[in-house]
Amino acid sequence: MSASTVALAIGLASAAYMAWNIGANDVANAMGTSVGSGALTLAGAVVLAGIFEFAGASLVGTHVTETIRTGILDTSAFASNSPILGPEGPRILLLGMVSALLAAGLWLQLATSLGLPVSTTHSIVGALVGFALVSVGSHSVRWGVVAKVSASWVLSPILGAMVAAGMFLFISYGILRRDDPAAATRVLAPHLVAAVAFLLVLSFVYKVLRGIVGSPPWWSVLGVAATVAGLAFLASKALIERGRRRPAQPFAYVERVFGRLQIVTACYVAFAHGANDVANAVGPAAAVVQIHSLGALPPNVPVPEWILVAGGIGIVIGLATWGYKVIATVGRAITELTPTRGFSAEFGTATTVLVASRMGLPVSTTHTLVGAVIGVGLARGLAAINLRTIGRIVNSWIVTLPVAGALAAGLFELLRYFLA
Amino acid sequence: MRTIHQLFGTSPFGPLVEHTQRVHATVELVRPVLDAYLDEDWGRLEELYEEISKREHKADVQKNQIRDHLPKFLFLPVDRGDLLSYLKEQDAIADATEDLAVMLTFRPRPTPHILKPMIRDFADQVVRTSELLVQAGSALADLFEASFGGPEVDRVLDMVAEVNQQEWEADKRQRTVTRALLDEADGLDPVSVFLWMRTLNVLGRIANHAENTGDLLRMMVHRR
Repeated sequence: MSASTVALAIGLASAAYMAWNIGANDVANAMGTSVGSGALTLAGAVVLAGIFEFAGASLVGTHVTETIRTGILDTSAFASNSPILGPEGPRILLLGMVSALLAAGLWLQLATSLGLPVSTTHSIVGALVGFALVSVGSHSVRWGVVAKVSASWVLSPILGAMVAAGMFLFISYGILRRDDPAAATRVLAPHLVAAVAFLLVLSFVYKVLRGIVGSPPWWSVLGVAATVAGLAFLASKALIERGRRRPAQPFAYVERVFGRLQIVTACYVAFAHGANDVANAVGPAAAVVQIHSLGALPPNVPVPEWILVAGGIGIVIGLATWGYKVIATVGRAITELTPTRGFSAEFGTATTVLVASRMGLPVSTTHTLVGAVIGVGLARGLAAINLRTIGRIVNSWIVTLPVAGALAAGLFELLRYFLA
Repeated sequence: MRTIHQLFGTSPFGPLVEHTQRVHATVELVRPVLDAYLDEDWGRLEELYEEISKREHKADVQKNQIRDHLPKFLFLPVDRGDLLSYLKEQDAIADATEDLAVMLTFRPRPTPHILKPMIRDFADQVVRTSELLVQAGSALADLFEASFGGPEVDRVLDMVAEVNQQEWEADKRQRTVTRALLDEADGLDPVSVFLWMRTLNVLGRIANHAENTGDLLRMMVHRR
């Protein structure tokens, strides 16, 4: 077995572990609130999360994957005609990608067992930069991209907070503060379902249509999204009209209806999470596979679809073998987030993460969700928010980036010593 | 993963409503303890004093629990200072009730018959004021549901206005009974007059604290 095959095997195993870990630990944040509020059963949450994580990963996962695969590092520094590394360039890059995956996986495992709120995204980006610094030097890092990605880590929780707060204020003024909250819910709820359906479909319909008709015009994309949204509107309206009575406890009724709506946002979050986070496992893996088979990493060759699909499957396996336990734990712990609040937070999170994914920016879903929950709190929606969590998140950035970077650098030197 | 549930602190609103109810549990004994005194049932008076003291202590424990679970880094939908003032003032209602019971146990003596109905009338009015406040305070959990806006808030603010109205009524009754007491003063021993003056004053304080608590509730809900 050649050294490069050994490296490939280590890389793919690490990528599989990363994907498993994303499914096992991160999906809980998306689905936990819905289980906690009783909107979904545990089994229902696992099935829906599986479907939408997979769809998000395989349909919209490309953008962020490209950033991780070829955006953070200047891959021309590792070309076979590289002035520094010479013909060894691509092999060095392969080892680097493998060590980045391994480092991120190890750090995640350690952090999870220590109970630290560590982001998979931050781990992999830190690891990539660490490897680049020891192999070629700081000029092989695209600092502009790194700066943009770092800015997105600060901006995504803030944007999540703003969208969630806006949504909660809308619910608050449109429903909760009305004379008849139940009637207001029956009017507004189908519109909210339609809005979520529109945003969700809009994010992947282009990709689906392109598979069918080549290059679809913009109006067909909008048309499909609007049609699906319209159908969702009619279906939810029919469902809500069925229970038409004046309830004795209007707030309990509103929360019950939003419990159903939360199923929609939970799918939305799972989709966005899959779209954003699959790249953390699959981005470096795609590079490893391509270097192994093509002998180089051509930035203009797209990520093979099967790798995204494999990443999606990995996430689903993580969800099915371990994630359901974490969902149950998180669900039990966050009963404070009642459906109206949970809906707002999930909407803010998914919208922000999906926008970032479409822009190719790898953000942390968990941190965005934390921002969104704080946003709901700022809009007077939550009884008590522990602001120390913000400090813990900032700490996790400060720790994760250097630790993952140093770990990747060390592993790279180790692998190079044994395999190159 | 654990980030998300670390984000949530303990809600103070459920415990606050419980405190409201514990305070009212002491106020409920105002009329029985006064009746025991006026009916010269000294054994019962002592028993009721013990019970009031016990209930006041329970309210105190609840108050301290709420304070202990309200660290500065918790972000609340109401001003933390407003919430603590409200809690303190509400607890003062139970304190005043205990003071009343203590006053009554000092010197068990027969009361002039002419004063009795007026004293009972005054006490009833004080209890009514506190009852209204309990209704307003118990709506706090609903107010939170409605994110502190809309008709739910208006309803509570109306109740607070009614507490003010009832307290004013209580003041009027206090004046009537005090004047009647002083009319009788020549035929009474000075120590009894002194003690009754103090006792009526303490009884009035229960209603005053209920009124202040209502005002602080309004502040807490209305601010921002």
